[in-house]
Amino acid sequence: MHSHRQPVSHPALNLDELLVRVDNDPDLLRELLAIFKGELPGQMSALRLAVAQNDSKVTENVGHTLKGMFLNLAAAKAAAAAAQLEELGRAQDTANLEAALAIFEAEVAAVVPELEAHLAKTEP
Amino acid sequence: MRILVADDDLLSRTLLERMLERAGYEVTAVDNGRLAADCLCCQDGPRLALLDWVMPELDGPAVCREVRQKREQPYVHMLLLTSKESKQDVVAGLESGADDYLIKPFDPEELKARLRTGLRILQLEDKLVEAREDLRFKATHDPLTGLFNRGVILDLLAREVDRMHREGSSAVVLLADVDHFKNINDTRGHVAGDAVLKEIACRILGSVRSYDYVGRYGGEEFLVVLNNCDESLALSRAEDIRQAIASAPVHTAWGSIPVTISAGVLATKDWGLRPLEEIIHKVDTALYQAKADGRNCVRFAAPAQSPKLQSK
Repeated sequence: MHSHRQPVSHPALNLDELLVRVDNDPDLLRELLAIFKGELPGQMSALRLAVAQNDSKVTENVGHTLKGMFLNLAAAKAAAAAAQLEELGRAQDTANLEAALAIFEAEVAAVVPELEAHLAKTEP
Repeated sequence: MRILVADDDLLSRTLLERMLERAGYEVTAVDNGRLAADCLCCQDGPRLALLDWVMPELDGPAVCREVRQKREQPYVHMLLLTSKESKQDVVAGLESGADDYLIKPFDPEELKARLRTGLRILQLEDKLVEAREDLRFKATHDPLTGLFNRGVILDLLAREVDRMHREGSSAVVLLADVDHFKNINDTRGHVAGDAVLKEIACRILGSVRSYDYVGRYGGEEFLVVLNNCDESLALSRAEDIRQAIASAPVHTAWGSIPVTISAGVLATKDWGLRPLEEIIHKVDTALYQAKADGRNCVRFAAPAQSPKLQSK
């Protein structure tokens, strides 16, 4: 699966947009990041399992949830990759799921470090 | 202002909660559509709602449909949050009963502005409901005494006569007229007369049960319907009302004015199912008898074969 991973162009986050969304509140951003990091592993496991089992319905549902999470974090590329998985699930296009998952995982991997790097700068 | 946020995504829910709390809203947050519909359908539930489109149990449009079906008043302003962008989706969302929608990811300022629009609509709706209730009251009540007006008290009487006949029970009907009221108007003035009528209305209301009906039948005439009242109690209940009026003078800015009433009374069970006009005629005849017998008394209208009753 890792062989499909594409290099990710940075930045993965639109920081300006994210700061507007949290009203420039670093505490709220930290709270959201904690939620994100708590929720992400479960959602990723569910997504990987669904793709491995060619389960279109679950792929569509989890893809939708992940798309929403990344949109809220102003991570447009990861959100677009999740949307692609959602769309493939809806279309029951199982042939392209694995490739789409690889792209998505690469985008996800870029988001967290950027979020944490930003938060580190705002530490009191 | 209370607002419901329904979203199964914890991240999105938390973001909305914090943003709205900061904007001064009192937020209730739930993670599925079933809980959202139950909360909004409560009589004292929030009147503003942000509903995610895709949710477990019930999706956003289904929540809107349920709320519109179950809760009539007061109105709930519902806004759908969706990542669906097609025209069909938007139309489907609005036709489910949503008032507005926002496409994710939404701009926080736009969301707050749309909620302010929702608040303005709710305030306008409140004013319309208040105006409607005010008009309804004015259309059904006498402006001077606040009692039911003639049309309404007659409708209520007709309904009670019919219901009592159906149930084999009796209602007691009392028609009262203020004694020498013209004299009060002539000697103390019409404003004093109005004060007397208002006080008499209060005293009658104070001497009947909360579910009895009291109306202003004419100038100085009052019609009282005592629901589900045994016919054997008709005269004593009428006497209670007469005494409540006569027991003390009415204190007005123009001095204390002694007042009494004369009244005719009947029990509907004695007369069976009769046209309303006939019932009014019978009780009116008893009232005239009370006047003829010296006023400040009650006379009972009974069918010819019944023993004639009277009080005082």
